[in-house]
Amino acid sequence: MDTTLRALSRFGLGARIGQPENVPDGRRWLRDQLDSRQPAREGVGLAEVASVLRELREGQRAQDRERLMATQRRIREIQGGELGTMLSARIASDTPFVERLVAFWSNHLCVSVAASRQVAALAGHYERTAIRPHVLGNFTDMVMASARHPAMLFYLDNVQSIGPGSRAAQRRGRGGRARGLNENYARELMELHTLGVDGGYSQQDVEQLARVLTGWTTSGAGPGSRPDEPLSFVFRPFVHEPGAKTVLGKRYQSGGIREGEQAIRDLCAHPATANFVAGKLVQHFVADVPPPRAVEEIAGAFRETGGDLKAVALALVDLEEAWSPDSKKFRTPQDWLVAVLRAFHAEAAPEAMAQQLRQLRHAPWAPAAPKGYGDTRREWADPDSLMNRAELARNLARRWGRRGIDPRRLLEVVDVPEQDPLRTLLADSDIPAAERLALAVGGPAFQWR
Amino acid sequence: MDRRTFVRGMCYGGLATFALPVVRFAQVPGHGKMVFVLLRGGFDGLAALVPIDDPEYAAIRGGMAFGASDLTTIGDGFGLAPGLAPWKTLWDEQELVALHAMAIPYRTRSHFAGQAILETGLDRPDGVSDGWLNRLLQIMDGERSGIAVAAGMPRSLSGAHQVTSWSPAELGVVDDAYVERLSLLYRADPELHDRFEAALQMKEVAPEMDRMGGRGPRGQMAPIMRAAAKFLREPGGPNVAALEFSGWDTHANQGLVGGQLDRLLGQLARGVLTFKEEMRDEWANTTVVIMTEFGRTARPNGTQGTDHGTAGAGWVIGPNVAKSTVISDWPGLAERSLFESRDLRPTLDTRAVLKGVIAGVFDLTAGQADRVFPGSGDVRGLYDLMG
Repeated sequence: MDTTLRALSRFGLGARIGQPENVPDGRRWLRDQLDSRQPAREGVGLAEVASVLRELREGQRAQDRERLMATQRRIREIQGGELGTMLSARIASDTPFVERLVAFWSNHLCVSVAASRQVAALAGHYERTAIRPHVLGNFTDMVMASARHPAMLFYLDNVQSIGPGSRAAQRRGRGGRARGLNENYARELMELHTLGVDGGYSQQDVEQLARVLTGWTTSGAGPGSRPDEPLSFVFRPFVHEPGAKTVLGKRYQSGGIREGEQAIRDLCAHPATANFVAGKLVQHFVADVPPPRAVEEIAGAFRETGGDLKAVALALVDLEEAWSPDSKKFRTPQDWLVAVLRAFHAEAAPEAMAQQLRQLRHAPWAPAAPKGYGDTRREWADPDSLMNRAELARNLARRWGRRGIDPRRLLEVVDVPEQDPLRTLLADSDIPAAERLALAVGGPAFQWR
Repeated sequence: MDRRTFVRGMCYGGLATFALPVVRFAQVPGHGKMVFVLLRGGFDGLAALVPIDDPEYAAIRGGMAFGASDLTTIGDGFGLAPGLAPWKTLWDEQELVALHAMAIPYRTRSHFAGQAILETGLDRPDGVSDGWLNRLLQIMDGERSGIAVAAGMPRSLSGAHQVTSWSPAELGVVDDAYVERLSLLYRADPELHDRFEAALQMKEVAPEMDRMGGRGPRGQMAPIMRAAAKFLREPGGPNVAALEFSGWDTHANQGLVGGQLDRLLGQLARGVLTFKEEMRDEWANTTVVIMTEFGRTARPNGTQGTDHGTAGAGWVIGPNVAKSTVISDWPGLAERSLFESRDLRPTLDTRAVLKGVIAGVFDLTAGQADRVFPGSGDVRGLYDLMG
């Protein structure tokens, strides 16, 4: 594959017809994107989400079916709006490498709209405000922003976690429902967000970290909240477990919110984190079985810069393994569909796109488990998925074929060897043009990046 | 007939049949079929198969304890949760083996690691290993085939042996000419062409299923189980199926009768009975195994739910089990009996059960069963589980 097309598809979101000739130097095109200004994205604010969630609670309390259904409709609208904005950005972006990084980190620190209505209403805001601003910034800042975002606090239950020795627990123990420690977020923070499952932590560390993070919650939710509060991160000393804790052999003196902030900084700076994150990045951008040398290279860049994600992204572009003709990555359903639409010069996400991604088993912000979506052909290249793509390609080509795209020009966006039968088929005017478009994007060559 | 003509014959001749092994099917001894259902998320064994006679049960479960009258009593001291009550018929017909205090061989409370252990069939994490169902197919010399009826390819069935998959999505109408040209293109891709051919075979059976309700609403298990049955009962259909259902990670508001978990169990119960009915005569050769990556804490947590634990419950269902029974070396729920003072203690290894099942279903020797689960040589298979 030539360097330009590889840059456009391996690190980008696929080429547009006519684009490769304007990208003389693939590596430079990628590096330039990392210097581009990335404006903040607009969307539904926390105040509005808070009012919807308040309405939801009140509807539940009053057992008012109509009110509940109206609220759920509103949540679906918020979610759908955010989703449309995000997908359109991927389709239209002139800095697709940055969009790929957003998608990667958003999946690394994923939340799932399937988890609860709160998360459904917040997932878009989460990606826009906790992930996107940091993809060319610092890893620790991103994890910290994720730890403080209501979507994550709801998703992994930290809003429900109460120090067993806290004032809140004592008060509740005498009255209302007893509530206590919930270790879900603490575990995933170590296993999935930082150290990795082989990162050398124990059940004891999970429980201690859960205690460290008690009190990290949101206003407008959980014990001690008032109904009229806005929705934002808040640390509640009242819920926090008193006393010193020990995580991974390090003692954290009783210090309120500072305990958790320091613990997150320590986890992000842990050598296991650099290795784990590097392994995932190389698997995403280079090969299903990450070459150890490449992983070490990226882990080195991560360690040496203290988790500077722009430096890490540049190091990815510099990996010789990423440009080796032998290394291939199978496009995920999201990347494949976006690449098809980019090839056809779509300007924005078609209305049916979210539903199509669900049918391709890759609905955005909806992984089945906190580990996020997988990234390899083992997950995505099963027989049924190939047929799903073939069917959808035919469907899309019918619509976009009306724009009069010359099927032969798709050779600009799909990489095939000289003797590949696709070349003959695309030039065969006996085959309807729309079908030829479908063969280009539904066939095997376009599945790889 | 070489492989290519055979496959194309199936695709365009309208023969609804499966994969290469079918050609030699008549020579394969035994006709056993096995379905492995993975309940992802770690379902609460103590709330599904309830140890109602354990003297500590009511106290340790507190407000989350069932009363004896809520349950369907089976075996000695165990009761099926209300949602599973429809399985009483399976019990009475000698088709239900319940398993308790069972766990994977590796201690973890991570979904990710636990599912990986259960699905690879190994005793420690291994990032690249094939799934145990795939290894089973490899050990049977490629003479049998496997299918995932799931929204993805479960790790249990992934690996070197080519398998098929199906989920009821249909994303566009395609005609034979287009599919034939695609087929030509896929032939030039050494890595994908087998997979695409397998997909073509699936399509022969699939259209009928698209009309029967498809995947249904999220969490509805019966349509998926029905689809699995339709594939398995085809003449020469797959011998092994992998299914998976998520939603069992009940950290909060787990509920009791009619609660969150009980509703899921109700769907599971109906799903299995639907499957049995849809298998028709082939049910006589079929065994269903239901497992999860771990049980949950013995005590409720602070949010009316349970956290990730260790040992839990599972089931082996079908007419070829030796008899209805509860298999459990019950460790008890007393404080001193709990694993790490919090979880039900494991006394039964998932691999012992699975070795017993595959030996029975596929006429394997103990040595062959051991090869499906490398490193399990010192774990004796429950070879009397199947009749």
